[in-house]
Formats: sequence, C-alpha cells, structure tokens
Amino acid sequence: MILIENLNVKLGDFTLKDINLNIRKGEFFAILGPTGTGKSVLLEAIAGVKPVKSGEIIIDGKNITKLKPEKRAISICYQDYCIFPHMTVRENINYGLRFRKDKENPKYKKNFDMLIRLLKIDHLLERYPQNLSGGEKQRISLARGLIVEPEVLLLDEPLSALDPNIKERIQHELKKIHDELKITTIMVTHDFQEAHFLADSVGIMDRGQIIQQGTLEDIFQNPKSKVVADFVGMKTIFKIEEKDLKTFNVDEPCYIGIRPERIKLSTKNMNSDYSLKGKIISMIDTGIYVEIRIKCDDKVYIVYVTMNYINDLNIRIGEEIFFGFNKNDVKKIIK
Amino acid sequence: MKKIEKFYIISAITGIIILIFTVYPILNTFAWVKKDIMIETLKDPKVMNSIYFSIKCATYATIISFILAVPFSYFLARHEFKGKNMIESIVNIPMVMPHTVAGIALLTVLSKKSPIGKFFDSKGIEIVGTQIAVVIAMIFVSMPLMINSAKESFKWVPERLENVSRSLGVSHFRTFFTITFPLSWRDLLDGMILTWARSISEFGAIIILAYHPMIAPTLIYDRFSTYGIAYSIPVTIILIIISLILFIAVRLVSLGKRVDI
Repeated sequence: MILIENLNVKLGDFTLKDINLNIRKGEFFAILGPTGTGKSVLLEAIAGVKPVKSGEIIIDGKNITKLKPEKRAISICYQDYCIFPHMTVRENINYGLRFRKDKENPKYKKNFDMLIRLLKIDHLLERYPQNLSGGEKQRISLARGLIVEPEVLLLDEPLSALDPNIKERIQHELKKIHDELKITTIMVTHDFQEAHFLADSVGIMDRGQIIQQGTLEDIFQNPKSKVVADFVGMKTIFKIEEKDLKTFNVDEPCYIGIRPERIKLSTKNMNSDYSLKGKIISMIDTGIYVEIRIKCDDKVYIVYVTMNYINDLNIRIGEEIFFGFNKNDVKKIIK
Repeated sequence: MKKIEKFYIISAITGIIILIFTVYPILNTFAWVKKDIMIETLKDPKVMNSIYFSIKCATYATIISFILAVPFSYFLARHEFKGKNMIESIVNIPMVMPHTVAGIALLTVLSKKSPIGKFFDSKGIEIVGTQIAVVIAMIFVSMPLMINSAKESFKWVPERLENVSRSLGVSHFRTFFTITFPLSWRDLLDGMILTWARSISEFGAIIILAYHPMIAPTLIYDRFSTYGIAYSIPVTIILIIISLILFIAVRLVSLGKRVDI
C-alpha cells in the first residue's frame, strides 16, 4: 500500500499543497487533472527526484520519504520515453540490471523474455532508438522500467505523445501488463478516457492539490466540485436556486450536474422523471458524436447523440425538441 | 530569377569582412618569414623548449581546469538556487579582467610576502617564477571557458534521463558516468579545446608571475623587443602551426557522429 501524508513540495513559485493519497497494493491509480497542475511534480516527488518540503511517503509500512531514488524500487516512465540514445534497445532494457549484484539471477532473463513477448519488441533489440516510433519507444521504456521488478511503476502521461491508433494499442498493452504483473501503478494523465479505461481509482488534481480521490465510478457519479464534474465530462452544470429546490429534489441551493449521454431526446413528450422542452441552439459534429445544446428557461443542457439518431429525429438548429432524464442522473455537486 | 534577400547580402558582406580580418593577418605572417632566420630558429633549442613548455603547461592547466570545473558545472547546470547568478558572475570575472591585472592579483596571493606564498616557501616549494605559476595563471584565465562549456553540455542532457536511470536503481555517481558523461563528452572536449587554446595564448598574466621559464608568447615578445619583428616571426609561425595541428586533430574527434536526444 502507498500512503502519502500531508506532502508539500515547493519548486520556485510552484507548490504542491498537503497531498494525501491512499493507494492499495496492486492497484492501477490515475492522477487526473488539467495540464500544469503539478501532476508530474507529484510523480517525481514520489520517485525521489524532486525534493519534498514536508510530509511522508510510506510504501508497505516503510517510510521512504528520505530515501535516494535508487533505493526506492520505484520505476518511472516519462511521456517523452527518455530512452538512452547511446545504447541499443537491449542495453536500454537491461540497463537497470547492469550494476546489480544479482544480475545473473535467472528471474531477470525470464522477465526479459516475458516483457519482450508481451510488448512485441523482439525485432528491435539490436537497434538504436533514434529511428524508432513513439509507440516502440514507449514499449521499450515500459520494459526497461518493469524488468527490475519495481514495487511501484510511475507513468507520466505515457500515452499523450502517441497518435490515436498506437495510443489505443499501448493502452491495451498497459492493461494487459498490469493484469498479469499486478504491480502498483500510478499514472498521471489529463485524459479522463485514459483513466477510465485503465484505472481502478483516481485522484483529481487541481492547482497543486488533490481535490477528490475515490473509485472511478464514485468520482464519475458523484463529483464533489464543479472542477471535478467538468473534468469527468459532466457537461450540463447549473445552479439550483430556491425556487427550483423541489423540482430537482435538493434541500438547499447548490450546483447539479447531468452527464451528456444521460439526457434523451424525442420529438414527443417523454416518459422520464424530468421531461422538458427547449430550443436547439447549436449542433456540433465531433466526428464520433454530435454535441447538441438545448436552451430551456434560462438554462443550457448539453446532450451527446449519434448522427444517425439526429437523422432519425430529423431535427435542426432553431427547432423545439423534447428532452428528458431521470432523477438518478442528476448529481448534486457540493462545492 | 530568384531574388536574394537584402539582409542576406549584408550578412555575406559582414561575413567576408570578418573572415578577411581573421585570416589575412595570420597568413600574412608567413609572407614575412626569412628562410635563413627560420632555419636558424628551428635549430634553436630555446625556441623549441619554450613551445614545448607552453604546450605542456597549457595541457596541465586544461586537465586541472577540467577536473575542477566538471563537478561544479554539473551542479550549476542541475540546480536553481538563490545567488546562482552571482556565483556565475564571479566565475566569469577573469574573462573581463585585463590580463596584467589578473597577473598582479595572483602575484599578491602567490608571492613570498603573502601567507600562501610564505607557506609554500616554508615547505621549499617556489611558485612565482616557476612552471607552477605559469599553470596557475593559465588556469585562472581559462577556467571560465571550461565551466561555461561544461555547464552548457550538461544542460543539453535532459535531467529526466538521469531520473530514469536512478529510478532503475543506479546510483547518482554511476548515472553520471553511464548516462550524462557519454552524452556530453564531445561538448566537454570542445570546452577543453577552448580552455587549452586560451591557456596557450595567455601572455599578460604569465609575464607578471613568471617571465622565466619562458613560454612561447613571452619568447616571441622577448625576440620582438630585443631583435625586432624578423626574429619574432619564425617562433610565431611554429606556434601557429603546432597549435593549429593540435586544434584540428581534437576538433575532428569532437565533431564525430553525435547522437540525437
């Protein structure tokens, strides 16, 4: 288990404030947040390559806060791969074993063969990294980090520099590796979908602080603040005033959020807990889905539907449409 | 017809002026050589000794500068701290000092009247007027070049590569020698060339600390002031040729195939 308690890091004008995290052994944990919020700094502080001002990092009961990075058994893989350019792929992968007393231990050879097979990089072993693709480099970086059997694997935006096809493949490989090796993994990302696909639980980070931690489902369904709600893709967020308290079944004025895929459209009055009528003010085709904005009273509702569905309904901007959602789709946002 | 940008024409003209300004005086030195004096100079052991002495001292100065500068430059390249700018400015002071002033400053520390000079004198080690003084003067004036080049070469190697290495269980020391140094040695070598060139060309600080034993630039000055230009030119030419050969040889090594990071 990884326990991070009241961790504070100060780097120039940037600070990480009172970070508290609790990550179970073998878990895939994602730190999710917008760019520039300090996610990578947190990862580097855990790895020991950024100095900690105060607080503690405890792994399996052992306080490692003051240990040198090389004594922590924590491997880090960066977004830009950081493959050693003066070494072949094989030398890169075996680099961490080079100075180990037990480097001849057959388990490392077994690890090497297993990782090569899992990541499908056997044809690259004698090549230098200069002409390898991003995906190949990321696989090498993973193999290099895993061969030494770390207690924790840190992934700093491992997918964000890859093109979509490769990204999807590496994403599946990461999941497969985690399922097989069960190494506690902390991944930093700004992409909710990546976290959704890979992580068991997440911590949402904003301006140097963890603002919510929990299982994916919990955060997805019950975001505690507007920032989190926005980040997990809750598109329709508005304030409930006194007069609307009863309608939305809340006791005091607060924000509520509704996920865009939970709102249904119809040309007829709908049989759902909330059935409303509004005017379509915009339709944006993203290629995969269409984002429709509907104005009803003074509120704007955002709905995602497929293009086929729009064709079936035969709707246009400026037209009126029925839309609805159920009570349990309406999530109360505390802050 | 393709139109050439006016700015590039100006660049070309200034470039030509700079090249002529640099190369013409050097080449012209060769035109002034008198064959008989040249042969006489080549046979003169005093000349060859002074050139050998210059090369030897510059090499010592470069090695010592390298050993001292590399760890400190690495620290400067990897850390931001209060007062860093001031330390970097202090390190560069010898570059802006007139060389004779540098010589006098060093003399105040190394002469037998100073505590350090007195201490070494009591141990039977003479500094002023010896090879030690020459090497010290060379180190003093050329160290900033070594530090600045080493710092830049370390900055070029991303710190993240070192972070990865350390996270794999490799110590800081070993990380430096297996990752940082192999990726920066060509630039470090470039820095050593600059340091060596700066050392071998030093004259002002050295004549204050040690007129004898004579380094080549002192001998050139000595011949020039005693016998005139005709007798100083052969020594100049020998020094130019030897320096150029060494310079080109090391430069070829440092220009070899670089790895992209």
